[in-house]
Amino acid sequence: MQGDKTRGIISLIIIAFALIALFWPAPGGNYTGIASIFNRIKLGLDISGGARIEYRVDIDPSVENPSAVVDDVWTVLRNRLDMANYTEAVVKQSFREENTFIIVEIPGATDTAKAEQLIGSTGILWFGQVIDETTTNPNIDPNLINEAKRENAQWLLDRDGKKWYLVRQEIDKISNLKLVSPKIVEAIPEVDRNNVAGYVVSFTMDKEYADTFAKITEKLYVPEEILNQGGIAYEQALKKRLAIVLDNRVQFAGFVVSKITDGKAQIRGNFNLEEAKQLAAILKSGALPARLEKVSSGWVAPLLGADIVSASLKAGIFGVIIVLIYMIIFYGVMGIVADIALLYNTLLLLGILAATGTILTLPGIAGIILTIGTTVDGNIIIYERVKEELKRGSSTKAAISTAFSKSFYTLFDANLTTIIAGLFLYYFGTGTVKGFATTLIIGVLGSLFVNLVVTRFMLDIFSGGIKVKAAKKGGARA
Amino acid sequence: MIDFVGKKNIFIIISIILIVASLISIFTRGFNLGVEFLGGSEIILRIEAKVDESFVREVLKDLAPEFENARISQIKSINDPENISKFSVVVSPKDENGNLKVYTGQEKGEISNEIVKKFEQKNIKAIVAGFNETSGYAAQEIKNLTWKAIVFTLIAILLYITIRFQFVFGLGAVLALIHDVIITLGFFSFANYELNVAAIAAILTLIGYSLNDTIVVYDRIRENLRRPKGKSISTLVNESINQVIRRTINTSLTTFIVVFVLLLFSGNSIKPFAFGMTIGVIVGTYSSLYIASPVVIKWIKR
Repeated sequence: MQGDKTRGIISLIIIAFALIALFWPAPGGNYTGIASIFNRIKLGLDISGGARIEYRVDIDPSVENPSAVVDDVWTVLRNRLDMANYTEAVVKQSFREENTFIIVEIPGATDTAKAEQLIGSTGILWFGQVIDETTTNPNIDPNLINEAKRENAQWLLDRDGKKWYLVRQEIDKISNLKLVSPKIVEAIPEVDRNNVAGYVVSFTMDKEYADTFAKITEKLYVPEEILNQGGIAYEQALKKRLAIVLDNRVQFAGFVVSKITDGKAQIRGNFNLEEAKQLAAILKSGALPARLEKVSSGWVAPLLGADIVSASLKAGIFGVIIVLIYMIIFYGVMGIVADIALLYNTLLLLGILAATGTILTLPGIAGIILTIGTTVDGNIIIYERVKEELKRGSSTKAAISTAFSKSFYTLFDANLTTIIAGLFLYYFGTGTVKGFATTLIIGVLGSLFVNLVVTRFMLDIFSGGIKVKAAKKGGARA
Repeated sequence: MIDFVGKKNIFIIISIILIVASLISIFTRGFNLGVEFLGGSEIILRIEAKVDESFVREVLKDLAPEFENARISQIKSINDPENISKFSVVVSPKDENGNLKVYTGQEKGEISNEIVKKFEQKNIKAIVAGFNETSGYAAQEIKNLTWKAIVFTLIAILLYITIRFQFVFGLGAVLALIHDVIITLGFFSFANYELNVAAIAAILTLIGYSLNDTIVVYDRIRENLRRPKGKSISTLVNESINQVIRRTINTSLTTFIVVFVLLLFSGNSIKPFAFGMTIGVIVGTYSSLYIASPVVIKWIKR
């Protein structure tokens, strides 16, 4: 019975972790008692509502196909939220008169400022040439304003808000040499080799932009000797710096010390890891093709309607209770084991959801219901085998052991096929479909574990009880 | 012992009729799509009283047919005063042909007046603060679930089952899966039941359920195939189905109980989920017993 001991210990350890994840006091939890498990689980918009922010899409009137631009904006925002693990956030378009609006609803976020941070930059990304810089506010200095007009450039603040740069989109005044909203295929935060505490963001541009970028870096190329020498050559080099502008802020301004032909570059700006990650995420998700202007921010209540959610929750719990009773009536002691297994797996699943910060929505709950189904099903498969073996005259212990080894591949194949389907749904799906796939995969893996380890352990413990009942049945049949 | 195999032709015919009827209904009648897919008009209501969604739902219910399935959720903006409540009411108005229509400016005005009047009758002051056209957000999300995704998923399942069982089993499982999904969708179309995000969740759940159910039967066939020869394949398949029938019925019944209770008592927007699952469980159980295995008997190798 060495195996049972191990199974028992593993079962207890895992459920302990799940319970800790579920019941660890949450800051600002709204629920008490049994419902307090929901303090740790992020609930979706449909169930608990969330932050709602409305943007107006600022489309250049000269754009030929405005609806394509809006679709692109939608995709970029969707990608950003998916990447931040907010697959359950809702992004929708809304139209009023001539204007297009994008409404973003983020589940669980009660702090709208935080939600806005999550949405990230609302401006466009472009590369430009630094012509001048100043530490005094250029908007009140007529000389600097004139300089901007003369150079056809604009004064932009840097990331820290301490310095202004005069930046022009056209590199070297060549009218078609500019790089606006390039497609970034890869962006990763990396440790800065020159500054151990800092991070840089390395990124790679899509091929079609790499050429333009190569031309730009060719124009702005400054040999390193000049930077070391100083003097007039250096003064001139100062006017050939490259600026990376996002959200109308200069994220980076620096010299180009080598021509870049492969579209790969780094943004260094003394970032900490968090900032570097965020910038990488924004770059990777694609820069916006149009600027977004915030119209309003606030909250939205459960989309399904609070009244509907509570009615359905009650119905769901009622249904599960009937199943619990059904199992006991039909399988006796083994039914009790099945019920415990079912509760065990549900708690495990909720624990994992809480620990990983996965957001639970109605489709997610559908995944849980399927999980409940597979857990009960696994138990039923095993019990029917136990009964078969008992009918053949095996002892209870032997029957349980044979039943498990015979059921192993049944459960394995049945569950793995479901998981494969789940993985594909996760890969291809967005939003709600992804959410469903997540709970499905976690739940089915959990039910495989519960059926093979937890149920096994409990069945062996309760095998005395099974014998009586099964013998009676077997006797009646013989 | 029940004869699942002998009368297989009858059941295959029944299934084909159901599939054809479903497809006809899907392509001619189409679906009663939910607000999440269709989009429509969003009315922002500002009510000068503290009321909840169910109250607003009750007041607006019989304003126009589309208001019965309206999505009503409370919204709040920063700086809103304490004693008002704001709601987003999304409706998908349809024309005579069942297509989504856009309210004309005049209609918008009439509806706004009607709404204000309805609330006035309850002695509550309401203002229509916004009347926008809105996109169906779910439509864009589902867009990625293209044929490519579906075909890849089916191929992956087919591959796995071919490796673990035999190719024909994979084929049977995929056929049963397509069978279940088409017929369930057919019921949605036929009953004109609202197809919303919850219904999609039900269809997805059904995929898992249908596969699971079929594999359990196949597993028993695989096991029995290893036994010494002597019985014909069709006897063997029939025996295998009979050996797992108790499990199939118990599992289906427990799932059925949960979703049926949900169908009876859950609220409006969740009902499509329960409806899809209830139909799906029945169809899925039927197909795993009568379709998935009997269909492929001819090609099973020992």
